[in-house]
Amino acid sequence: MNHTGTLLKENILSSFDDIHVDVVDEQRVSVKCKKNLVIAVLSYLKRSGYNHLVLISCVDWIKDNELELVYIISAYTEESEKGKMNILVKTRITRDKPELHTVIDVFENAEPYERELHELYGIHFKGHPRLTPLFLEREYEIPPFRKDFDTRKYVQEVFDQIPFVEDKKGGK
Amino acid sequence: MDRNKLGKWLQSPGKMAQKYSLHVLYFCTGCGIIEIPPSITTRWDAERFGVIPVATPRQANLFLITGYVSVKTLRFIIRSYEQMPEPKFTVGFGSCPINGGMYWDSYNTIKHLDKYIPVDGWIAGCMPRPEAVFVAVTHLWTLIDKGMADGYKKYREDYQYYRENQEKILGKLEWPPLFSNIENERK
Amino acid sequence: MRELELYFGPQHLGMIGNFSITLNVEGDRIVKATANPGFLHRGFEKLMEQRTWIQNFPLVCRINVVEPDHMELMYAMAVEKLAGIEVPERAQYVRSIYLELARIGSHLFGLWAYANMLGFDTVANWAMYHRDLILDLFEELTGGRVYHIYIWPGGVRRDFPEGFKDKIINTLHTIGSCVPDYDNTFFNNHIFYKRAINIGKITHEEAKRMGAVGQVLRATGMKQDIRKIEPYAAYDQVDWEIPVRTDGDAYSRIWVVRDEMIESVHMIFKLLDKMPKGEVYNKIPNPFKWNIPNKETYVRCESSRGELGLYLVSNGEDKPYRAHFRTPSYNHGLTILEKALENESIADVGNIMISLYITAPEIDR
Repeated sequence: MNHTGTLLKENILSSFDDIHVDVVDEQRVSVKCKKNLVIAVLSYLKRSGYNHLVLISCVDWIKDNELELVYIISAYTEESEKGKMNILVKTRITRDKPELHTVIDVFENAEPYERELHELYGIHFKGHPRLTPLFLEREYEIPPFRKDFDTRKYVQEVFDQIPFVEDKKGGK
Repeated sequence: MDRNKLGKWLQSPGKMAQKYSLHVLYFCTGCGIIEIPPSITTRWDAERFGVIPVATPRQANLFLITGYVSVKTLRFIIRSYEQMPEPKFTVGFGSCPINGGMYWDSYNTIKHLDKYIPVDGWIAGCMPRPEAVFVAVTHLWTLIDKGMADGYKKYREDYQYYRENQEKILGKLEWPPLFSNIENERK
Repeated sequence: MRELELYFGPQHLGMIGNFSITLNVEGDRIVKATANPGFLHRGFEKLMEQRTWIQNFPLVCRINVVEPDHMELMYAMAVEKLAGIEVPERAQYVRSIYLELARIGSHLFGLWAYANMLGFDTVANWAMYHRDLILDLFEELTGGRVYHIYIWPGGVRRDFPEGFKDKIINTLHTIGSCVPDYDNTFFNNHIFYKRAINIGKITHEEAKRMGAVGQVLRATGMKQDIRKIEPYAAYDQVDWEIPVRTDGDAYSRIWVVRDEMIESVHMIFKLLDKMPKGEVYNKIPNPFKWNIPNKETYVRCESSRGELGLYLVSNGEDKPYRAHFRTPSYNHGLTILEKALENESIADVGNIMISLYITAPEIDR
């Protein structure tokens, strides 16, 4: 029943070594590799017909002291078997000075995703044309989406300390 | 027409002009914007209350802040508010400007809006219905009659405190202070 | 000629939502356009990590304010996949009818925005009135006009009340009988044709390269719809067609929106005929002590703007570990808009922006 999944798994395992492939579900395949193989794996998948980059996401595993980047790939094919498949390419990088090469040469629409991850997690993407702030206006000491940034403490320290204008006038 | 009512209206033509032609500034600040188009189109017609949306701050005298305010939006709200001519009124729409609402623990939203600009009234709800906008407008008329809708006068008097609060959140502001030595000039 | 930098900022009569574009212009022609999102950023995904699985439901529907129903569906489907909960058959039909009503409402809101921007105020008022009739239906079913927390993991919260099926049919007949008026006034109007033809044109290859989904892709000739590729709810039980146009400009995109609305109305009638009887929800475990096993998943659906997805990771605890929404307006607003605005005139900025069907809160989350 799961022809495309097992076929894909064999093709990937025969083209690369030092890589793990799992057929997680009927239409989901997960590929785990090291960070220097990411661009090679993505180019191979794009040449085999999977040409839609859906999402670049990041998970903060603070207990292992690692950040995990997830690239989700799919295919623009009208109602055929390839269009149903979603491939999750995962890689792990260190949390202390996270760096990775950009994938804009393979998929052109990766630019805003990497900009957002740079701002919210602190990952530096080498070769990206513009790594300027996208959403945030203030500076934060720890990037806000990491697990050791406590939002409730931040709200108490910054927003609740500002007094109401009536209190200020009454005091003076 | 009743003679007493006509007499009462003609006593304060300035207040009547202020009340019955509140022009709203068209600025969609947050998610409350979804209930403003129904209020201004044909089903819940807001023009019978005198409320129509206008394009620039210089033509408006009611500022309706619809929904939560993030730090980036606060800069533009203050800029638009200072460009509006006096007398001007502000109404906070939704529960988020009152005390943070649903996003009380977010690092990017402002929790109490009246620390930064003066607010004359609040409309509670998430979302409030379009009829709530009309109830708020009629309450604002009562406040204008009694002379209690004086947020803009408070802004003029306590400007230094408001500006201190604004600079604590936004850092250095690019525009010069709006009122400086104005007490000396008026004397 | 000198280059000027203009701010098409958040307070503007032609702007949808709280979004800003910086334009570098030379005379009337745009040389470069830069999008500035971030005015509506709340750190949604970080807030979801601090609330339990059940407490996230009122939060999730507030990501996209024009159409909150597909967000609820995504979160419920992801939680069901992680926890292994089944959905009864009648609940699937109820979910499909509810989502198609939401799609019609969202398209009518988009039509209000576009017609208002072009200057057709009559058609804008009609569209907003018909959307209000649909919001009355939602108010009777769920209690709220805009945010209805109706979809639950395991089904929907309650069944249709007495006589609700007839009310749906009456409302859709009221709206459907006005379609010839809409056609004569707006869609077949020569002024709309002249103002929207060849504006914001995107070729088929460019759309695929820049990650387009939804109407932007269907207007370039590609039949791509998640409801056919990976059917969820009851979409595989009825026959329906995907509406497609081939030109790729603003005119084709608005015609695709109109065809989708008509297809949704037919789909609701077919679903109402075939709906079986039965339960509408399965029980879930005690929400105060609900731990979900250690897994991850990616689910997707077709919202009114394109492909919507959710990547959800669980750690075995009672709160989500990471949730990341893939929203359709992200690529449209940040990559495609900057490309489509090059070499256009300033007067067409609103036209292109609204026809690309961007919703600002979806970009910022």
